[in-house]
Amino acid sequence: MEGLVLTPADFVALLNQTLEFAYPSVTIEGELSNFRVSKNRWVYFDLQDQEASVKFFGTIYNLPGPLEDGLRIRVVGTPRLHPRFGFSVNVSSIAPVGEGSIKKAADLLAAKLQAEGLFDAERKRLLPPVPQTIGLITAAGSAAYADFIKILNERWGGVEVQLADVYVQGQQAPLQIVAAIEHFNRLSELADVLVITRGGGSAEDLAAFSDERVVRAVAASRIPTLVAVGHEVDTSLAELAADQRASTPTNAAQLAVPNRQDVIAGLKATGSSLNVQLNQSLQLAITDTAQGREYLTSQVFLLLNNAQESLNSNRRLVTLFDPRAALKRGYAIVSQNDQHIASVRGLKVNDNLQVQLSDGKINSKVIKVSRE
Amino acid sequence: MPKPKPAKNYQQLSDEFAELVAWFESDKVNLDEAIAKYEQSMELLAQMEAYLKTAKNKIKKITAKFDGA
Repeated sequence: MEGLVLTPADFVALLNQTLEFAYPSVTIEGELSNFRVSKNRWVYFDLQDQEASVKFFGTIYNLPGPLEDGLRIRVVGTPRLHPRFGFSVNVSSIAPVGEGSIKKAADLLAAKLQAEGLFDAERKRLLPPVPQTIGLITAAGSAAYADFIKILNERWGGVEVQLADVYVQGQQAPLQIVAAIEHFNRLSELADVLVITRGGGSAEDLAAFSDERVVRAVAASRIPTLVAVGHEVDTSLAELAADQRASTPTNAAQLAVPNRQDVIAGLKATGSSLNVQLNQSLQLAITDTAQGREYLTSQVFLLLNNAQESLNSNRRLVTLFDPRAALKRGYAIVSQNDQHIASVRGLKVNDNLQVQLSDGKINSKVIKVSRE
Repeated sequence: MPKPKPAKNYQQLSDEFAELVAWFESDKVNLDEAIAKYEQSMELLAQMEAYLKTAKNKIKKITAKFDGA
């Protein structure tokens, strides 16, 4: 090797080949300094401790969220010698480490996303009261998964749970969770609700749920989201961006589906109230019938009374017109050849006339006719 | 002999039931229809209760890999 003369390009290629073989991936943890973003795409920074400083290069897509100098971060990357710019580590993932740095990074991201309105109450959608399909994003072997399914089965039935088994902590977690959210949102038949959950853990364990990419994917989901991370006290940014937050995986199942016992009790109460309504309708019909009967009876009585009145008055009229009544009052009916006559016209002397009185008849003869 | 599964899912049963309840709450109620609809409601309630007591959740693990690549 000593006698070998290389060009600068050959040397760079040789060194990169050696680095790639010896250190295909390195994980370095240190304090962030000289952090800058160029052209809104390229990211440059150094990681340092008291004795050394290492340069890093990446893209904004590698960032877990906004970062600032002084934060303690863990970077996974590939060491590389650039032909012009020298040595750097090409970043594949970045994660804040230590409670203080994780909190600081989360605060920076929270402020940024808050300003963008990602956590606004107006963005929140209601979860469907009875989902038929739930997209579940969690680690299949986790206690969170077991808790969620146990409570789901206790409370409700008939739901199809589509499980996306992902890492919920560690370097791969954020991108896996994002990929799972995007998978569910690409399906032609969307799930009714997306549940993203994991159990409690250290700030580092829960960091994926405050990763900017995860938070944005939750906020962008077309499917309403229910996020439950950790225990009651833990609040991740993904929960703030979700349509609904639950305190634990168990609580997520309680919020995702109704309780069948409550629903059955409610159905029975509704059934009873329908029964009451039916009885009221029946009672109303009976009352209507009774009132109808009363009305009809009164109408019939009225008609009968009217008929009786009319009969009486006709009877009085008939009595008035009865010629016998007039005869009794002294009037007489005069006839000639069985024809009543009411005029002297046509009568001649010696004509025979019959005079009807109330108690008998007189045969008489006309002896004089005079007109009035 | 196992109980036959209801042909409709819970949502369909629930929607039908809600329609009947709305009818009872409207001013269209007449006795002939009320009796028929009440019987229909009771039948739906029985089906919903049976569904709630017997329906099981199905879990389907997605085979896709989420490498985030």
